Amino acid sequence: MALMQKNYLFGSEGRWKRLVPLYLLVPGVFLYLLIGIGPSMATAVYSFTDATGIKGAPINWVGFDNFDEFLFRGLASRDNIAATVRTLQFSVVVTFIQFTLGLILALLLNQKLKGRTFFRTLFFIPVILGVVIQGLMWKLFLLPSSGPMAEFLGIFGYQGEFLGGQPTEAFGWVIVVQIWANVGITMVIFLAGMQTISADLYEAARIDGASSMQVFRNITWPQLTPAINTNFLLNIIGSLQAWQLFLVLTGYKPGTQVLGYLVFAEGFGQTTGSVSASFRQGFAAAASIVLFFLVLLIGLAANRFVTRRERKYMA
Amino acid sequence: MRNKATLFISLLVVLALVLAACGGDSTDTTAGASDDTTADGGDTVEDVNLTVLVHANPPMTAFMETFNAEFEAANPGVTVDMSVVAPGDLATVTQTRLTANDVDVIDMFGFSNAAQPYMSDVTPPAWQTLVEAGLLLDITDEAFVGNYDEASIQDAGSFDGRVYSVNLGRVSYSGMFVNNDLLAEVGVALPTTWSELVSACETITAADYSCMTVGGGDGWPVFVGAYGLLGSFYPDQAGLVEGLWTGDIKWNDEKTLELWNRFQIYSQEMLEDGVTGLSHDAGPARYAAGDVAFMPTGVWQGPAVEAAEPAFDWTYVPFPGSDDAADNQYLFGKYDQGWAIASESPNKDTAISYLTAFSEPDNYQAFVDAVGFLPTQPTATLNSKLGVAVAPLLANYRVGYEQYWINPTGAGQWANGSNGPQWFQPFNEWDDAKALADQAQADLQAGLDANS
Repeated sequence: MALMQKNYLFGSEGRWKRLVPLYLLVPGVFLYLLIGIGPSMATAVYSFTDATGIKGAPINWVGFDNFDEFLFRGLASRDNIAATVRTLQFSVVVTFIQFTLGLILALLLNQKLKGRTFFRTLFFIPVILGVVIQGLMWKLFLLPSSGPMAEFLGIFGYQGEFLGGQPTEAFGWVIVVQIWANVGITMVIFLAGMQTISADLYEAARIDGASSMQVFRNITWPQLTPAINTNFLLNIIGSLQAWQLFLVLTGYKPGTQVLGYLVFAEGFGQTTGSVSASFRQGFAAAASIVLFFLVLLIGLAANRFVTRRERKYMA
Repeated sequence: MRNKATLFISLLVVLALVLAACGGDSTDTTAGASDDTTADGGDTVEDVNLTVLVHANPPMTAFMETFNAEFEAANPGVTVDMSVVAPGDLATVTQTRLTANDVDVIDMFGFSNAAQPYMSDVTPPAWQTLVEAGLLLDITDEAFVGNYDEASIQDAGSFDGRVYSVNLGRVSYSGMFVNNDLLAEVGVALPTTWSELVSACETITAADYSCMTVGGGDGWPVFVGAYGLLGSFYPDQAGLVEGLWTGDIKWNDEKTLELWNRFQIYSQEMLEDGVTGLSHDAGPARYAAGDVAFMPTGVWQGPAVEAAEPAFDWTYVPFPGSDDAADNQYLFGKYDQGWAIASESPNKDTAISYLTAFSEPDNYQAFVDAVGFLPTQPTATLNSKLGVAVAPLLANYRVGYEQYWINPTGAGQWANGSNGPQWFQPFNEWDDAKALADQAQADLQAGLDANS
């Protein structure tokens, strides 16, 4: 009977046995290709066209014109490259501070302190608010004439324009908001990692007379390797792709654009503020391909780094 | 191995077919349509859901809600579903909803910024792309179009000899609101030249009042507030754009350099502290508080100023940017809101009825009274407080620079010098008018050279 079933289902040469699992994968792979790879491939194709995104409008093949314009044409290329550099600056600063602050908060809130649940919740709440609410809260908080921050800093004689002011100042405040908005998730990942470390290790270290710094360096830090690696990658990639806060907090103004915002603004006619601005989705696609390669290169380098760490500490 | 390759290729083929199907013609889509359309494609009077898209403008949306209720009452079975979006998002939402065939009647700003013969390698404006893609209904032969003046139809709603939009009103953005009470209190006469304005501001600030306010938190109101300054230097705004493109005018020539100096004085000395955090919508309430003398902005803020403080005594005058009063007599502006109909709308007949009703002189007059537009129907009159202030100036009304300018491809971010007031500290990094003028010209020239 079993032999008959086997022959019936899979044939004498086991052909079906090999193919059935593959066919069962078809729906999942198809959905992945459709939703995951399809738009990416379409973006790559669009980057070689003058597509506007408007239904019925002609789409012409323009070769590498969009990339040439982005990287080399006139002084617009200077601004595009400046936006790319600014994206990297944003990513480096945000990753470093968010990572460090998240680790410190996790270390503090992993202690048996009174009210630690309250503080864990407090630091995590911004994560669930969403970008628009986060941005509006900070816009009100940073009103230059009468906002709480202006009043507070005014005590020390500081008068700033905050988000509406010079690009350096506005850019700095967006970094602050980005970190505030996301440090909670970094903290939670670290906390989860800390709670998997065996208490026996800490107890043994204490018996051996290890100092707090020695305990951190030799037990906590190595044992946190998976959490460190996860946070490191998430922070880098998240900050490279971040642009919505710029939209809400500063708008599209010279000196604060990052690459993600440039993609949106070019694609949907937001660069000039004119209600008649054209939609340049082909050009925006080319800019997004540049962003993609930026994320890819940095992501690969970061992944190589964390893989080495894992081999070193987790072997 | 061969089977795997076959499987992979099969998947790609299926994917391609699905994607192709997704991008196909969707003329059969019936989003927003009723279930009760007639055989000839017309609508029955029952169960029509008319979707209308407008941009946020509180007096206008308030009027539209009233009008929609009246239209629904007069047309049983018709429901008007009006969506309101921020002005800056209107073009994006229009594009996405037209693509999704999810809108019937569209609020569309006056057609502008068309490519001119002296321009090369510029991308057509969004409205032109929409028309050329066949997404807007040709309304040339609709009766309600005849209610609007010929100039507005030609300038703001036509393309290639066909009409696609009726424009509902001109607005001026180059003047300023004047606080009559405050000027009287400090003993300052209404300034008619730049020197008088500078002097007035000195007197006003010496009396512990603020000279000017704008909604600087949104960025654009800062430079729009100085469009009158630009206009007083170059009353021929179309000529200015052509001159910049052809090289006859440069952002850093002697005459324009003086303009940059005045931009700097306007941004750094005339505007009050803290405007970097004041939104455009909050501007009227701030101004109506009474301790600011001038608010340079568009006439569309008139109803909001009036609503914020009905007893407030104000008027609206051209911005006195020149020392020759004759140069300060013009009001510059644009065609504002208009109506268009989606060509693939399943509710075309209802949409046409809607615009026909809206365009009836009584309804249009009520609309103009509510929003403060300069009317585009010849029979309409300017009855509002703002209208009374502006009516004598309309003989000198001109379409402004913003409606003509297109950045050359490859130009840098400082190329559109009309935005200059927003680039001085505290709004941006610049503090030297000459250096900024040179940078603006260099950024423009780079674009012109890249396309030559």
